[in-house]
Amino acid sequence: MEHPPVAQLAPGQWVLLSYRMPREPSTPRIAVWRKLKQLGVAQISDGLVALPADARTREQLEWVAEEVTEAGGTAGIWLAQPATLAQERELAAAMAAARAEEYRKVTEEATALGGQLETDRLRGVRRLRAELHRIGRRDYFPPRERDLARAAVEHLVAASATPSKKRPVTQS
Amino acid sequence: MKWATRAGVHIDRAACAWLIRRFIDAQAQFVFVGDPAAVPPDATAFDMRGVDLSHHGDDCSFETILRRYDLTDPVLWRIAEIVHEADLDDQRYDAPEAPGFDVALRGLSMVCTDEQTLAVTGPLFDGLYEYVKRGLLLGREPA
Repeated sequence: MEHPPVAQLAPGQWVLLSYRMPREPSTPRIAVWRKLKQLGVAQISDGLVALPADARTREQLEWVAEEVTEAGGTAGIWLAQPATLAQERELAAAMAAARAEEYRKVTEEATALGGQLETDRLRGVRRLRAELHRIGRRDYFPPRERDLARAAVEHLVAASATPSKKRPVTQS
Repeated sequence: MKWATRAGVHIDRAACAWLIRRFIDAQAQFVFVGDPAAVPPDATAFDMRGVDLSHHGDDCSFETILRRYDLTDPVLWRIAEIVHEADLDDQRYDAPEAPGFDVALRGLSMVCTDEQTLAVTGPLFDGLYEYVKRGLLLGREPA
C-alpha cells in the first residue's frame, strides 16, 4: 500500500503513560505529578498523559512509569496515533497554550527588569535564560510567545552592552 | 562478564558503561538491546525499566550503580551530579557542565553506533575523572 505523500497529512506518533496510584501516601503522587509537569505532558484524562513520541520522551515516561510502580501503583506505556488530525491539533494546541503562559511570565519579568540597575538586570538575564532553557525542553509546539520572551530577555543584554546604539536581537 | 542495556546510548548509559569498565569489571562486554526481553540470560542489565541497576526515586542509573557497588569515591559522586543533570535536568545539583555533555552525547548518538559512542566517551570520562580529581585536590578549578 502507498503511504500518504506528505507526512503531516497523517497524525504523528505519541507516547502515552496510563497510570494509577494509591491516594495515600500523597508524597509519591506529588513527586510523579511534578515530574509530569516538568516534562510538559498533555493531560488526556485522569491518569492518562501524552507526549509526541521520540526516543527521549518515551524514555522519560518509562522512568515515570517505573516510579509509579515502585510506589505501589500500576503504569503502562503506549505508542499511539490520534485517529484524526483534529484530535492531534487539539493536544498540540493545549500544550502550546500551556507553554505560551510560561513564556508570557518570562516576558513580564524581563520587562520589569528593564528599569533596574545593570547588575540586577544581568543577574535577572541569567535566571531568565535558564528559565527559557527549562521551558524550551518541554516545548514541543513552540508558540509565538517564545520568540517574544527570548527577544525580551536578550534585549536586556543588548541594552547593557551598547547603551547608545541598540544591537538587533538574534532570532533563532 | 556480560552487561546489557538499551540501544541508543545517551549520557547515563555511556557514563554507566565507563563506570562499569573502570571500577567494576575490566573485562566488561556490552550488549545493546531494543526490548528488555532480548537481554541475554547471562547478562547484567542496567538503565532499563524493571531492572535493579536503573533509575530509583530521584537517582539516575549512574547513581544507583555507585550505591549498589559501594563506590564512595568523591570524584565519582561529583561526576554523578553532572550525569544526573545531563540526564534528568531537574536542578537537583549545580552542574554547569551538564548541558554540554547532554548535547555532545545527543550529537554522537546521531552519527555513531552504540559501540562507537562508548569508544569515544571512554577517554572523555577518563578526562573528566582526572579533571574533577585535580579540582577536588586543589580546592579550586585546575589549570
